[in-house]
Amino acid sequence: MQNAPVTSTEAHLDRLRGDVAPVNHNARTIAALTGNPGCRRRAVLDAAGVDKKAMSVHIGHPVPFGQSTFAITRGNAFEAQVKANGCAELLTMLRERLGLDIAEVAYNDLEEAGGNGSREVRHALARRMIDGAAAGVEGAGTLFDHPLLGLPIGGRTVYLEPDLIAFQVGAQFHIIEIKSFPVIDGQADGGKVAAAAVQSAVYVLALRRLFEELGHDPQRVSHNVILVCPENFSNRPVATLLDVRRQLTVLKRQLSRLRRVDELLATLDPGLTFDLGVRDGTATRPAGEVVAALGEVEARYSPDCLDMCELSYFCRAEARGTTHALGRTVREELGGIEFVDTALRLAEGRLAPTVELAETAHALRTALRMRTECLS
Amino acid sequence: MAEPVEELERRIERLRSAVRHAVTTGDRATARTLRAELRRAEDAWEEALDDLADQAPAAPLPPRQRAVPGLLPLREQVHTALSLLSVPAAPRLVVQVHHAFFGEDVPSAKLTSLRRDEERSFRSAPFARPYYLCAALTADRLAPARGLLAVSTWPLEHRIVGPLSPRVDFLTAAVRVAEHAERLSKVDGGVARLLWMFGANIPGAASGIGTAAPAAVIRAARAELDSHTGVDRSHRTAAAARARAHLDDVGQLFGTQLRAVRSRTGT
Ligand code: SF4
Repeated sequence: MQNAPVTSTEAHLDRLRGDVAPVNHNARTIAALTGNPGCRRRAVLDAAGVDKKAMSVHIGHPVPFGQSTFAITRGNAFEAQVKANGCAELLTMLRERLGLDIAEVAYNDLEEAGGNGSREVRHALARRMIDGAAAGVEGAGTLFDHPLLGLPIGGRTVYLEPDLIAFQVGAQFHIIEIKSFPVIDGQADGGKVAAAAVQSAVYVLALRRLFEELGHDPQRVSHNVILVCPENFSNRPVATLLDVRRQLTVLKRQLSRLRRVDELLATLDPGLTFDLGVRDGTATRPAGEVVAALGEVEARYSPDCLDMCELSYFCRAEARGTTHALGRTVREELGGIEFVDTALRLAEGRLAPTVELAETAHALRTALRMRTECLS
Repeated sequence: MAEPVEELERRIERLRSAVRHAVTTGDRATARTLRAELRRAEDAWEEALDDLADQAPAAPLPPRQRAVPGLLPLREQVHTALSLLSVPAAPRLVVQVHHAFFGEDVPSAKLTSLRRDEERSFRSAPFARPYYLCAALTADRLAPARGLLAVSTWPLEHRIVGPLSPRVDFLTAAVRVAEHAERLSKVDGGVARLLWMFGANIPGAASGIGTAAPAAVIRAARAELDSHTGVDRSHRTAAAARARAHLDDVGQLFGTQLRAVRSRTGT
């Protein structure tokens, strides 16, 4: 096993993060990352693996964000149940719904590489196993439990700790996503299904990339993801096929728009760090310093952040009074005007517009007049 | 509700080995964070344990033989259940089987430390006991298979887990459970549920919704076994030969923790 060379980018990211273990990316965070590809702050913090949640608490803007421990426990329990007894329930479902052949039962546990759980070792093992299966080596496997995949994000390979099994029906590989939200009479919470689809698309992309690297046809990774959920309040699992082609297109476009991390780093003060100075589980660095450090990296807050970023309360407070805090539609309507106050003054005619803003100012004045007329 | 606890236990095990790794490689920063995480996981485990105690079935259970549930009765319970199954099994299945056939609860939370205790006991006085509860070994690395318990007196081949073995062992366990059920004068709730758990997941084994007759389970499980056993046996035999050639007694029973990966990886 070759160790990846410690590049200056890695060293720089370590410095930014400080004396703590990095927070790993997962499909959820990548999905969120692509939700606001223009935010440098998030790009830098995520690349460095900064614990944004701990940070938000420390600087006094905690977000009620992320899965509750209860949901995680429930999710893990359901996953364990589906995989128990040699994936008995899963096999039954796949045989009934997808016609998986009786002979296809080989199971590979890729979660712990013989006690050596380092990411590099696990990734190498997953590569080797999936390579064998894709090459059609006999008995190479049907089910792969927690294969560790890689995906380049902003020019760096990010390891995904996927909550999934990839399996093959015939020559096709499918991603299986096990989720604990219920499917009731064939219907599930649309928002949850949508989120699961984006996350699964991240895995499809990562697996396709691996196929490409290994010289196999990436199209053998199906765009149909198998979503496994409990049915009708019972704990009986049910499988649904989810077509993630649309999510894949969006994802690919967003990822290509993400700036390269090293380019972002080059613009930063070399002494900058987001270290919280954690000693025995408590952050000791003055919060003011952390806030100042955050101020060094430009953010692009929009109300969407509230759904997907741990720093959203902080960024919202910081962005108060700016037009982009009101969302993309408003920002685009007010093209070129940065502050709400400027917009109001232009509307009321208290400020003479520059040439570029003449048109917007005219629109604003009209809008104000119409509003006044409506209300009077 | 035993799963969350098992999940936590798996996580605790993983964290422990990660802490050890961090400490041995001198990575103090990581060790510190991991330790904190480990403490949190252990606290959560204690809590989950209390919950389990609260949820313990209200139905009257046969009185415990021994007032203090020490290591001895526990290992006997596990040994009995494993012997019935004749294949490596996860603690959850051990608990289910013991409860169904012997009406006794196995304190499942204690099962995680069991393998470690047995290993310690074996190391200090090898083969002093008639049997040890040990690990199943993965066919590729001869490492302890995650979350499986086995019995030291079984042939090594039975304790090897290759890619087909989880299914083969599930089917074998189904046959054994059904054979045992056939011998009972009456198949009651616990055993019937266990039969259904197996029967529902073997093609052609269920006789209706919620019921699976022992004879049908045996027939169906054997039919499917036919298509897996040949390949599975060849994997197991090869791995067992390697284990005998390369591992000492402790290694053969409790598995190796390979540090280095072969230098030529498929990258
Ligand atoms: S909340 Fe802040 S850091 Fe997070 S994505 Fe939005 S602007 Fe960026």
